Amino acid sequence: MVSPNNHYTTKSEGVTINFITPEGDKKTIIANKGESIMDISHTHDDIELECACEGSLACSTCHVIVDPEYYKKLEEPTDEENDMLDLAFGLTETSRLGCQIVMEKDLDGITVTLPSATRNVQLKGSKLS
Amino acid sequence: MYQRLPEWLKTKVPVGANYARIKSDLRGLNLHTVCEEARCPNIGDCWGGGEHKTATATIMLMGNECTRGCRFCSVKTSRTPKPLDSNEPEKVAVAISKWGLDYVVLTSVDRDDIPDGGSEHFAKTIRLLKKKAPHILVECLTGDFRGDLDCVARVANSGLDVYAHNIETVESLTPYVRDHRATFRQSLKVLEHVKKIKPSLITKSSIMLGVGETDQEVMDAMKELRKIEVECVTLGQYMRPTKRHMKVYEYVTPEKFEYWKKVGDDLGFLYTASGPLVRSSYKAGEFFISSVLRKRQQELGVGSGIAEVRE
Repeated sequence: MVSPNNHYTTKSEGVTINFITPEGDKKTIIANKGESIMDISHTHDDIELECACEGSLACSTCHVIVDPEYYKKLEEPTDEENDMLDLAFGLTETSRLGCQIVMEKDLDGITVTLPSATRNVQLKGSKLS
Repeated sequence: MYQRLPEWLKTKVPVGANYARIKSDLRGLNLHTVCEEARCPNIGDCWGGGEHKTATATIMLMGNECTRGCRFCSVKTSRTPKPLDSNEPEKVAVAISKWGLDYVVLTSVDRDDIPDGGSEHFAKTIRLLKKKAPHILVECLTGDFRGDLDCVARVANSGLDVYAHNIETVESLTPYVRDHRATFRQSLKVLEHVKKIKPSLITKSSIMLGVGETDQEVMDAMKELRKIEVECVTLGQYMRPTKRHMKVYEYVTPEKFEYWKKVGDDLGFLYTASGPLVRSSYKAGEFFISSVLRKRQQELGVGSGIAEVRE
């Protein structure tokens, strides 16, 4: 499913990213190079990713789980990122903070899973989407 | 499925002369408010003032960048906020004394980047304000200074009247809701220490409801506050400030908030302010002054008439 918020002219400028939501739905977005996963979630209403500290490495709410194949392609996390990542709930070996992953050509086709680990995901009384 | 905001949480858009005046006073002095930075729904009400009440705002000291990233708060986060403005204490004292208030609340961002957490800056602001306008009752809402009780003491000894520090939520949810540097027990220690070193100070705390807590947990939290002799407690509905913040778990009904008010009264708090839109400093002066008056009337055995608050 292509997001309606694309704002580039040719496909070659965009990079594809797949999100797996906590409910298990897959959403495919064509993002711009240079956008972080945090940026992408802000411009796409159907991607719910908290970023309480807005990318300043003071929290772990934008925690995502990267597919192993692409995890290897990412640059090593800084000490600051690691410190915050250590606090993330449901931490895995391929976890990263979404605000630190910047989309580039070599990440085309990456899949990230949004963990359901933070405690209160669903509004009480609402339907599961 | 998106659940609409319940009717009881809808508020009016801030407009009017008072609102504009406060805004221009603040901007002119480069001061910030938690009202704006944290997107308080009551801003129109408080800043608007009205026929029978003076417009008020809760100034947020030490800039508008906080070193922490709590999931419920939209104040900007930065690892390296701008340096403190050494003129801020003076500017705040000037601004507030102009507003003609009887009661004011000051708060601040967390400044874990500063060795004393900004406690001297905070204390100086209170001292200057009290010097310029000794008749104003001052309430301060502080952070936890990372549990450094010397910093807490510095603020507690500065001449303020009410010392507030928020536990924010119940013990079990604290690690999920607040920044990792904050803990439930650390916050209790702050409040306990204030009472210990300055028993005459009124202490106060606040709880957000609707983040997934159980009734028993709320009851326990309120009892913990009573155990350390906290006198005032406020309970309000968590409202998601932006899409980047945690979802609301539940919209607690006004009736349920009434129930918690009764619980607070029964537990022996001097005052319990409880309602969906209640916030730590919302009508703080009115609640405080009226409850102190009520207490005095009881002590004097007076049924009606206003007793003098100021000594």
